[in-house]
Amino acid sequence: MTTKTATGRGWVPHAVMIPLAIVSIFPVWWMFVTSLRPENDIYSSLPWPGSPTLDNYTYAMDSIAVWPMLRNTAIYAVTSTLAQMLTAVLAAWAFVRWRFPLDKLLFALIALTWLVPFQVVMIPNYILVSRLGLVDNLLALLLPNMVSAFAILLLVQSMRSFPTEVIEAAEMDGAGHWRVLWRVVVPNLRAPLAALAILLFISTWNDYFWPLLLTRSENSTVIQIGIQMFLTEEGNQWGPLMAISSLACLPVLAIYIALQRQVIDSFVKAGMR
Amino acid sequence: MSETTMPFPRRAGLLSAILRQPLAPWLYLAPALVALAVWIYGPLGYALWLSFHEWNMLPFAPIRSVGTLNYERLIDLPEMAQALRNTLWYLLGLLPLTVALPVAAAILTQDLAPRWRNLYRGLIFVPLIIAPVAAAAVWRWLLDPGFGLVNMAIQALGFYPVRFLQSPDLAIWTIVWITGWKLIGFSTLIVSASLANINPALIEAARLDGATEWQVTRRIRLPLLSPVIFLLVLLTILLGAQWSFTYIHVLTQGGPLGSSNNIYYLLWQFGFGSLAAGWASAAGILLFAGFGVVAAGLLWLMNRVTFHDN
Repeated sequence: MTTKTATGRGWVPHAVMIPLAIVSIFPVWWMFVTSLRPENDIYSSLPWPGSPTLDNYTYAMDSIAVWPMLRNTAIYAVTSTLAQMLTAVLAAWAFVRWRFPLDKLLFALIALTWLVPFQVVMIPNYILVSRLGLVDNLLALLLPNMVSAFAILLLVQSMRSFPTEVIEAAEMDGAGHWRVLWRVVVPNLRAPLAALAILLFISTWNDYFWPLLLTRSENSTVIQIGIQMFLTEEGNQWGPLMAISSLACLPVLAIYIALQRQVIDSFVKAGMR
Repeated sequence: MSETTMPFPRRAGLLSAILRQPLAPWLYLAPALVALAVWIYGPLGYALWLSFHEWNMLPFAPIRSVGTLNYERLIDLPEMAQALRNTLWYLLGLLPLTVALPVAAAILTQDLAPRWRNLYRGLIFVPLIIAPVAAAAVWRWLLDPGFGLVNMAIQALGFYPVRFLQSPDLAIWTIVWITGWKLIGFSTLIVSASLANINPALIEAARLDGATEWQVTRRIRLPLLSPVIFLLVLLTILLGAQWSFTYIHVLTQGGPLGSSNNIYYLLWQFGFGSLAAGWASAAGILLFAGFGVVAAGLLWLMNRVTFHDN
């Protein structure tokens, strides 16, 4: 609710935002444009594809196992999001509903996990996964990503702002804490839960390092590794590289276009915490 | 002492106190706690243990205890000094992109009409959700010395093509730019959101008193933004070098001549490049300890310096 200032600077915001918007969006646009160009036109600097074709996409699909990779990425992103949501709902409920010994310490331990860099724990985790015989198995991607400390913190916050009278009234009526959680609290937190799910899905979809560490064969890896296969190849095949990059970005961009406001809000609120 | 004088009542009291606690919260917490113990804190302890040992990560190879040798060798390593220096450059290079520019952009654009605001918001947010590997791919294409669009433009202006990723002087700044590119818009939105939370009455009052736009910004907006500015600085310092990890791995592998290598990537090379679990763990533990100290210091500073509007 800021009132419009009468300072006559009406053009300044646009002068800032137009370059920022172009810098932000142009590389993504260029990725799609290049992916749609025919091979003999790949070095064109025309800002749209002159005669669009899907040749680069079919080439990419013929060279590597694109469909299995997309399928694996989807399975990984969906299962890991669901697992992180479930563990976070349960853990957050424990912190909000009860006070118990060590609760502050445990909460701090959960909050501090983001200080532990992935690179510090990657060797022990890799050793553990290979001892379990899970290298090159989708389960190995899922197992270490079943809990998100961030999701727990966010849900504790949302649940704390839930009116305690409602919870107490429900318990007065004889509902147990399990029932109250699933019948009263969770249905009323639909908006923050949906926002969290979007955020978790996008970040798992884009995850790259854990799959890089753990997957060996084309059929068991994710699409991000597929992009890398084209990147590290000798000689640059810009068309197919842009095609597979576009494929990797499409699902996330589709979610973004459909739910733009919710996606932005969930990321910004998460960033501000 | 106390155990010999009054063992039973005390212990029984404690035990029954524990037993009287409801079990339910522990059951709710169990999945999360088990997973964190197995995948974060357990490995952290294991890494600490490994850091005093020598092991090439092959299943049946012997693990030798070497005391603090790993740490001593790390400190003498020339790559380590270079990587630490570069880590600092990454942070300094990222701060303008993740903090200064977004704060300026957010302040300059706060009076936008909602229609425009939503359009711009929608566009500048996009880089954040693009997969990092895809972002690396498209920037490599744009910056290609032969046929990339950026270099075609540079050549059209009559200059020689720039080897953004192949020159030891430029590679690190190119990676900084790509890392920052993903975050400028997002940081701007975060600053904008907290600007919108500033009570407009404060600004109206200042304007009525004849404050200029610069005075309003300097005396009201920036102080009230200090918590979010601090947050962005903290995030950049703690995670900044880590954010560039994917781009380094995909685009330069730390090169040329280690010029774009940072401490996180060096860890990766130690661990999986040279199969030296002990070295990598020692470097990781040093890193973890160092960043813990930095984080604690920054949080302490944040509580002392930032200004709150109550």
